[in-house]
Amino acid sequence: MMAKKMVTLRIDGRDIGVPKGTTILEAARKLDIRIPTLCYHEALTPYGGCRLCLVEVTRNGVTQIVSSCGYEVADGIEVKTETDMVLEIRRFVIELLLTEAPEAKVLKDLALEMGVKAPKRFKARNELCIACGQCIRACREIVGVSAIDFAKRGYEKKAASPFFERSQECIGCGTCFTICPTGAITLKDLAEGEKTVLPDGIEVTGPARIIDNWKVGLEMKRCKQCGEPFAPQFQLEYFTKKVKLPEDFFDVCMQCRAL
Amino acid sequence: MESFDQSAIDLIIGKYGKREESLISILRDIQSQFGCLPKEVLQYVSQKVDLPLSKIFCIATFYSSFSLEPRGKNLISVCQGTACHVKNGEQVVNKLAHELKLSAGEKTTADRAFSVEKVRCIGCCSMASAVRINQDTYGQVTRNSVDKILKKYRKT
Amino acid sequence: MKVSNRKDLEKLKREGMASLFPGTIKIMVGMATCCLAKGSDRVMNALENEIKKRGLKASVVPVGCIGLCYKEPTIEVIQPGKPKVTYGEITPDKVPQIVEAIAQGGVKREWVLYRTDREKLLLNGGAHAYCSGKISVLFKGPHEYSDIPFFKKQLKIVLRNSGYINPESIEEYVARGGYFSLLKALTKMKPEEVISEVTRAGLRGRSGGGFPTGVKWLSCSKAEGKKKYIICNISEGDPGIGMHKSLLESDPHSILEGLIIGAYAIGAKEGYIYISSGYALGVKRMEKAIKGAKIYGFLGKNILNSGFDFTVKVKEGGGAYVCGEETALIKSIEGEWGEPRQRPPYPAESGLWGKPTVINNVETLANIPVIITRGARWFSSIGSEKSKGTKVFSLVGEVNRVGLIEVPMGITLKEIIYDIGGGIPKGKALKAVQAGGPAGGCIPKKLINLPVDYESLAQVGSAMSSGGLIVMDGKTCMVDVNKYFLSFLEGESCGKCTPCRVGVRRMREIITDICEGKGKREDVPLLERMARLIKEGALCNLGKTAPNPILASLRYFRDEYLVHIRDRKCPAGVCRPIRTRSIGK
Repeated sequence: MMAKKMVTLRIDGRDIGVPKGTTILEAARKLDIRIPTLCYHEALTPYGGCRLCLVEVTRNGVTQIVSSCGYEVADGIEVKTETDMVLEIRRFVIELLLTEAPEAKVLKDLALEMGVKAPKRFKARNELCIACGQCIRACREIVGVSAIDFAKRGYEKKAASPFFERSQECIGCGTCFTICPTGAITLKDLAEGEKTVLPDGIEVTGPARIIDNWKVGLEMKRCKQCGEPFAPQFQLEYFTKKVKLPEDFFDVCMQCRAL
Repeated sequence: MESFDQSAIDLIIGKYGKREESLISILRDIQSQFGCLPKEVLQYVSQKVDLPLSKIFCIATFYSSFSLEPRGKNLISVCQGTACHVKNGEQVVNKLAHELKLSAGEKTTADRAFSVEKVRCIGCCSMASAVRINQDTYGQVTRNSVDKILKKYRKT
Repeated sequence: MKVSNRKDLEKLKREGMASLFPGTIKIMVGMATCCLAKGSDRVMNALENEIKKRGLKASVVPVGCIGLCYKEPTIEVIQPGKPKVTYGEITPDKVPQIVEAIAQGGVKREWVLYRTDREKLLLNGGAHAYCSGKISVLFKGPHEYSDIPFFKKQLKIVLRNSGYINPESIEEYVARGGYFSLLKALTKMKPEEVISEVTRAGLRGRSGGGFPTGVKWLSCSKAEGKKKYIICNISEGDPGIGMHKSLLESDPHSILEGLIIGAYAIGAKEGYIYISSGYALGVKRMEKAIKGAKIYGFLGKNILNSGFDFTVKVKEGGGAYVCGEETALIKSIEGEWGEPRQRPPYPAESGLWGKPTVINNVETLANIPVIITRGARWFSSIGSEKSKGTKVFSLVGEVNRVGLIEVPMGITLKEIIYDIGGGIPKGKALKAVQAGGPAGGCIPKKLINLPVDYESLAQVGSAMSSGGLIVMDGKTCMVDVNKYFLSFLEGESCGKCTPCRVGVRRMREIITDICEGKGKREDVPLLERMARLIKEGALCNLGKTAPNPILASLRYFRDEYLVHIRDRKCPAGVCRPIRTRSIGK
């Protein structure tokens, strides 16, 4: 086993050696230096869009402001995580996002922490999606389904299901719902007998998983043994096909199987 | 659901190859042939090229040269170059929208006779402000000349 | 038909010469997009018909753009032994009279713009003399090309063939020195020597910040990995200039030759020519050029017997200004949305599909053959201290002579607008010139003596970018122009990073309020603060340069903003809602 090449850098006056390929954010975390993030998640490839994790880097005499989540360390670089400019830009980022999603708890918390007030000059939007792309990357990289992606560009850029219609690929795993930092994705499980009509007119009867953002309503499969609904039927069919399991593999739920 | 000529799509895909790299070129040809990117066609492409439909939709809605909706019979391209803007290009757009009864954000008239799009530069800066309708280019267009120009195409 | 050595190339050159300067009458018609938009194709048809009707022994050929846009459609007539004559504003109804005059061996004075006695051949050295001996009195009347104010201060390096050759003739391209530079580079120079020459020439990237080309090539050539790519970026994006389009349509081989030499220098065997959406004619011309180059062996395996292999593909974009940015361009070629990413790593290290990649602007590449043949010393003798060579500009707006020009770096704005451009129409006063489009800034009248080069433009808060110069008079409202730029940028923002996606949109909203008489006193400092932070915080150069126009306008035309806000008036009379409102608070 070949040892990975080690790189030495200095963060906020402290030296640290990390394997090549480590990002500044990862190295900072090793030193317990906190850098706020919004679009970053350690299970996903970095996106670098929110611009909250900015730091100042000096490399070969050149100083730049970069997002730490995606910047791979190099020997001899010097990083400063809280220069005046860096802090000013971070506050600006939160200010701007507050004009988009003023009700998002994560933003309100960050605003409080950084001493940022919601700007009054703008008549803002009141949505929750901040186009961080975590749901998209999760669906692609962790779940491997790629049911959603960004749609449109610029100010209107949002995560969406194709044609903004009911996603045909979504397996209702809820990873997007779990990972979304602002709670922009709504997921609810319909109770037994509860009915709802999806935007495209399809009626769904509970037990079912409803994810409004992708206009999805997936009826749950019941365990043949205990009778409890445990996962969306479509999701189980997807796994069965993908991993080439026997047709009846998911007839019994995981809990019953464990017993 | 409208049916479409699958073999035409197969030909396009064959021309560029079933690769991720070819996606934009494939969509460009489809846009050119079909006048837009119909949903069924994109679903077919997704299957044939084995790329997620969500990705194809992402690309179709990111780039300006793609349109999900069919364009009108007469395509009006208004130059939005700086030189044309300075010569009242915006007024021309507004007058067109007014004459064709297009509401904000609408690009195609209800009867599909006209589509209006802003383009970045027709290349006729000495004729600012410039408007192109189908293959014809008009220079020195003002809000007052819009009506007369449209008349020609309203007849057909 | 492969060209394997100098002898073969010289033979091709002779063919081209015979085509360029035939022994019979030749009429050249400008057929680039801007000429076509003014009906030059109808003029061409009319000429062909008229000549056929008269049984006149003459050929009518398409050429590219000569840059004289304000006089389009133009035609040029070569009559053996006589000066070349250029006619302007020609319409089909004028054709019979012109052909009549030509048949008589003379000129139709009424529509003549100028004559050319001797035509310099930049690469070949020397000049072609159209006429020898005494010039007939008929031809003496029109001014000679070298006296024409529009051309006098220009220096055509990049545009050396534009308007002179049939863009679809590789032979004519060779006749004017084309592919001799490639021959020299591949057979007489090592890749490092090519890089060294380009570095010593001082060539800087002809868009963006003007990064030294030689340095970029060197860093890529040294990068790890055997597979490398070179990409030609033809996506001017700047709304309102067509110089990339014009060059592509008028002289595609100049771009191709530069690209092949660049590939050789860095060790790339594959290349792409990325052309943004909406350049149908340009794509057609480039595809034809590539086809022709393949046939003659300037592309493919063992080019000119040098052992160097190189192939190139044209890739059309989907329509996005952000794809002019290197990393977004790479994504577009890979079949993704134009997503920029942070740098480092720089494309020279890790670019297309993770491989070392050089991306060069189209104008940058068109300079390469000239540097190889004429040498670094010659090239660096042109221009200013830190900005060598020339720059092509689209001179548009409120100027008498709108057109495509090429001038040595360091020429003053005053010379461009007044000497070349002929000043402001109707004797009006100059207000400002917008240089660099949405990435640049306005230059006010008081700075008219500014030399035009990278450093000087940056110092005053403007930028070179692709080379748009939009002349504005008093009828232009600076607030409105900035609303226009911000709207453009808002529509082109890719949406990835917060400062650009949300910040530019919020700025546009404020400036719209100002234009509609709803501006607030704190808007000006707010705009300045936002501009500054977007500049620092945005991810890519679209976002980083988006604040430039408004920062420049606040620097030089702050009062105009204040009048809009405080008095709810638009001094230029442009912002309509204010004009119809009652004046006063």
